[in-house]
Amino acid sequence: MGCVARRLRNGRAIPLGCALAALWPMPALAEARLFTSDAFELTADGRLVAVGGEKSWVDDGFGKLRSGDDDDLRVQPQLGNVSLAWQPQFTWSLGAVVVGEIEGGQRTEAGLSQAYLTFRPMRSDRMAFSARVGLMWPPVSLEHEGADWHVKDSITPSAINSWIGEEVRPLAAEGTVAASLGAHKLRATGALIAANDTSGTLLTFRGWALHDRTTLAFNRQPLPPLDPAIAGYQAPYTHPLLDVGPGFAHRPGYYAKLAWQPPAPVRIELFRYDNGANPEAVDAHLEWGWRTRFNDLGLVANLGSGMELKAQAMQGRTKMGYPDNGRRWIDNRFRAGYVLLTRPFGSYSATARVDAFGTRNHGSDVDSEYDEHGWSAMLAGKRDWRHFSGLVEMLHVWSDNPSREHAGLPFRQGQTQLQAEVRMHW
Amino acid sequence: MVRKILFALALAGAASPLAATPLNVRVVDASGRPVRDAVVTLYPSGLVRSAHPSGRYVVAQQGLQFRPFLTVVPVGADVSFPNLDPTKHHVYSFSSAKRFELKLFAKDQSRIVHFDKPGVVALGCNIHDQMSAFIVVTDSAWTARTNAQGYASFNDAPNAPARMTVWHPYLRAPGGLIQQAIAPTQRSLNFQVRLRPPPPAMAMTDY
Repeated sequence: MGCVARRLRNGRAIPLGCALAALWPMPALAEARLFTSDAFELTADGRLVAVGGEKSWVDDGFGKLRSGDDDDLRVQPQLGNVSLAWQPQFTWSLGAVVVGEIEGGQRTEAGLSQAYLTFRPMRSDRMAFSARVGLMWPPVSLEHEGADWHVKDSITPSAINSWIGEEVRPLAAEGTVAASLGAHKLRATGALIAANDTSGTLLTFRGWALHDRTTLAFNRQPLPPLDPAIAGYQAPYTHPLLDVGPGFAHRPGYYAKLAWQPPAPVRIELFRYDNGANPEAVDAHLEWGWRTRFNDLGLVANLGSGMELKAQAMQGRTKMGYPDNGRRWIDNRFRAGYVLLTRPFGSYSATARVDAFGTRNHGSDVDSEYDEHGWSAMLAGKRDWRHFSGLVEMLHVWSDNPSREHAGLPFRQGQTQLQAEVRMHW
Repeated sequence: MVRKILFALALAGAASPLAATPLNVRVVDASGRPVRDAVVTLYPSGLVRSAHPSGRYVVAQQGLQFRPFLTVVPVGADVSFPNLDPTKHHVYSFSSAKRFELKLFAKDQSRIVHFDKPGVVALGCNIHDQMSAFIVVTDSAWTARTNAQGYASFNDAPNAPARMTVWHPYLRAPGGLIQQAIAPTQRSLNFQVRLRPPPPAMAMTDY
């Protein structure tokens, strides 16, 4: 672990190599499938984007979407996301997932997306165990799938899962036990986490967003223009993968999940996250620890004829800074929820989603002037071929956030985006 | 002399095969709706005729499901398990008729399992919880599965006392099996069974 910590502090290189060195099972090399063709998976998408409205958060703005440039309606072709997933199998039960990604659009970046070891021994008659160790997204999203963590039914995920992709990807040691109790299926997951201390920074200063641009390991995300008083103690960016404070995993956090599937086509999931960060810790670059906790309730239901309903609701709180008259500098309560309905029509499918999101601030420095309220509606269509998928999506997002006024912008903004995407997967 | 003739006739009757005529079976649920994919097996008293493996038996993994869901094979059959999915599978069974596991194998790879004992073999995948299928390994040549109308037919069922079993994966009975004795003259039978709802085909996997 010291190796991982050193590399994290240096902000470069991949921690997986160290973990591999520690866990490599020497006697089982005969079963290894490291560089066979099935160990690699390439996905890429190109898209045509038409969007109006405010400047995107990607370009240091307050815009909620991946694109947008303070202009009237613009239409532009863009490279979306390109992922190469390497999934070697060291033994039949021990493998790894390493995903490198290029993200295009208004800011092009490349880097590491996920890197973790997987352990899945043979299940018993009634129980199964599995484990993951490394850099990974916690199992919160009902919208993402695959090693490349792509959005399944649409191009743009909900506000909840956009935020998970931005700020909730720790280093984790996770174990899952699945059991059948009669006709009921239960699945319990627990994890110790580290290096996710800044989670909540972007959500507080920018608010919620809707996009499929995930944070790459060691990369940083820009913050919108800050109030000058806050800019004096907060860096104008955030590194979501960061351990603030002395030593690695000095204050580990955790997440836990319980999933229940009764003898009906319904699954209910309850997820709890606490990053354990010290809200008074700050590093030399003015990046702070944000004590972030949230609960997420998820529901998946098959409604017949292939129609599927998904819903998530999240409620949480993040705190940063020192107490001042009984309140920390920042104390942000956030919540969001969505309902998504997908219906197949042969090889086509149609998806509709409505989202609502908001934040309420009670900090001594950041008060209701940063409160946000918003909603969005999305319609998407998808057609699958063998190695290709075609998607079209229309999304409207509306929000009011008074912090826009610090940058001389109207606090209330609406934005509509139309996208057509071709997604390739090999 | 008469006694000798009668003895000779009796010997001839015992040595010759029993007469066989068609036998039709219908399986319906508690509401009278036809039950498809019930496996009906006839065990004539004092007569054993095993089926012999012929042709290829295949249970593929495609679309994160086993295809077909139900396969009936004779004892001694070799069943191949080709993986047609882009992802790896780890097929297993804990059933007493055949315990096995096929450790991770990838797209376009296949494994073969030899089934040497009669019984029901429930299949699963160690990676994809929602995958489920059944192989019925039978030791009787008189084995048939019901069609969409709930019918199973035997064209050459011996006119002899027999035991008949009906198995279905969701049948509410120990082992999913019920049985009934039938008389030599019975050429048509109806079974009314109670079924559990099939488990929802939803994935519980997180990654």
